[in-house]
Amino acid sequence: MKYFLALCGLITTIMATGQTPQGTLFGGFESNSQWLLDDFDLKVSESEPGFIAPEDAFRANSYFQLNYNIGEFTAGVQYESYMPSALLGFSPTFDNQSGVATYYLNFKHDQLDLTAGYFYEQFGNGLILRGWEDRQLGINSAFQGIRAKFNPTDYFAFTGLIGQQRNGFELSEGVVNAFDLNFDLGQKFQWSQIDLRMGGSYVNRFQDRGTNSAIPTNVAAYSGRIDWGIGQFYGGIEAIKKDPDVIANEGTLVSNRLYDGTALQANIGFSKKGLGASATFRRLENFSFYSDRLAEGNQFNQELINYTPALTKQQDYLLTNIYVYNAQPRLITDPLDQRAGEVGLQSDIFLSFPKKSALGKVGTKIAANFSYWAGLDATFYEDQSYDVEFIGKGNRYFRDINAEIKNRWGKSFNSVLTYQNIIADKGVVLGGPLGSQGDIKASIIVAEGTYKLSKGRSIRGVVQYLSTEQDRKNWSGAVVEYNFNAKWAVYAADAYNHGGEGKIHYYNTGGSYTKGRTRFAMNYGRQRGGLICVGGVCRFVPENNGFSMNLNVTF
Amino acid sequence: MKHLFYFSFFLISFGVSAQDLLPDVALKTLDGTNTSLSEASATQSLTVISLWATWCVPCIKELDAISEVYQDWQDETNVSLIAVSIDDARTVKRVKPMINGKGWDYTILLDTNNDVKRALGAATVPLTILVKDGVIVYRHSGYAPGAEDELYEEILAQAD
Repeated sequence: MKYFLALCGLITTIMATGQTPQGTLFGGFESNSQWLLDDFDLKVSESEPGFIAPEDAFRANSYFQLNYNIGEFTAGVQYESYMPSALLGFSPTFDNQSGVATYYLNFKHDQLDLTAGYFYEQFGNGLILRGWEDRQLGINSAFQGIRAKFNPTDYFAFTGLIGQQRNGFELSEGVVNAFDLNFDLGQKFQWSQIDLRMGGSYVNRFQDRGTNSAIPTNVAAYSGRIDWGIGQFYGGIEAIKKDPDVIANEGTLVSNRLYDGTALQANIGFSKKGLGASATFRRLENFSFYSDRLAEGNQFNQELINYTPALTKQQDYLLTNIYVYNAQPRLITDPLDQRAGEVGLQSDIFLSFPKKSALGKVGTKIAANFSYWAGLDATFYEDQSYDVEFIGKGNRYFRDINAEIKNRWGKSFNSVLTYQNIIADKGVVLGGPLGSQGDIKASIIVAEGTYKLSKGRSIRGVVQYLSTEQDRKNWSGAVVEYNFNAKWAVYAADAYNHGGEGKIHYYNTGGSYTKGRTRFAMNYGRQRGGLICVGGVCRFVPENNGFSMNLNVTF
Repeated sequence: MKHLFYFSFFLISFGVSAQDLLPDVALKTLDGTNTSLSEASATQSLTVISLWATWCVPCIKELDAISEVYQDWQDETNVSLIAVSIDDARTVKRVKPMINGKGWDYTILLDTNNDVKRALGAATVPLTILVKDGVIVYRHSGYAPGAEDELYEEILAQAD
């Protein structure tokens, strides 16, 4: 807080003396708040009490970011406030906290880019290192330290960094030092037909081991990757090996036994006008990498050095978002729930038809997606060691087949039809051990239509149906949205679980106003409990009811 | 908390008069070559930059809608559109097949660790900005059908 006031004071001084014209000030303010309300009918069975609002019924997460650029220098701060508590379902490390969360000073000159303070970074796919921010998920894994980027030529790039990862308003115990090299061979040799790039990364975590000399202080991971493109085909492969390290669960070491980890990801694609296809394979074995060895598997995704998202299609309709996959990279040796990682693939195809063809006249665009993810086929022994197949026949965790057809029926009406068929392991979706609780098999149909009226007004309607014999049985859903113009919109939505025990309506209504730099949205309604997933990372949100408000202003 | 609101208000009121220079952030082309936001938009006097993602339904609706009239826009105003994908490692592999499958003619750039998104202060996508000679002259977030007409009016006004 002191820093923040000092900074504001400084800016005021600069402004008052009118010395800003050379520099640029930019930043933004975002506030997401909720006011939780008691809802005694929000329960699956009679014996439950329903939703009782916690003592801190009003909660807000606010972010204020300010940057100042002058010539080759840019500096910035981010102030965050979670008062009196963070939004429901966020890591409690944020509760009742406020203050300067990140700050940086950056210098950029020709081939050199230097940053001191907090910075975000990603090597390759992020499979080995990614420091990032997602405010909806409560993730901010920026590193605090020093980073240097050096690009002496247009075909060679180097990044080196050392720092500690952010953990709430504090820093993680481990110190990460890492570097990344990239060569663009296609650029270097001026190949016109072939695109070929190679890269390598090294990421090391140093953490004091106290009195336990059986565990390593340094754990490093090494990665190599190649990306290529020839004509309409392209692809890439990345392989990573991680040094032997202990595994931990719920903040304590499982044993002193060390296990190494590996990751392999390969993708291939084809793309030409009107047709695109791609497939990605990934295998993760004991591949979670945290900046504190004891943070492994924490449910709030804090202190993660690398990024292993679920490689499945990201859905965003009400009912297609109930059964979602969450990547399972961990090694767990507990006799009740043994697993060594995951293996699987995802593929996509996109088609559009020439404008003159019968299907093209109505603007037909088709997208289909398939994914299959399974646990690694492993055999565990009494001494907690294990043998594992490269692919094998592990437990199926998730299988998804989905397709959507988009059409444009004249100038004012367009439609989207979506079908999805899912098989999800109950452990993945509902929690608990994987592979032993049985599956949820569900089919979902969604029909969406948008009708454009005059003067920027439009109306959108969505109806959806989910059918399953398991879990909470069948659901129906509907959304109606009306746009008065590009600035004002209102909506009402309901997801109705009529097949389950509780017969619950998850109703929601709200509106938003957007103009230039400002967006304000307000919602009222019930939140379905479960995983809220953004970008393949999920956090658990309990069922709740209340108002929520979002304000975002940029300048 | 009180301080926060006070200062936000104070800075926002100042912010309106701040210069709207396009931040110079590094990002990648679809082929993996390094470029920057200002470099990419320097070829044309007028550039629309649209932040989108493969998983964002309104973003795709917006780009589909503009795609229908993009040729006319270019002929009449010489405007170009850069579609900056904020897809991260989870979905970025879907960008290339999707844009061709859709038949879009935009310049596509990748912002896989969301540096551009942060620099522009975009809490949500889509975010559409109009840049004239390196200065942001119009911005709009979210998409409602017909918003592309409003954007085009703005382009016409700036093209003169």
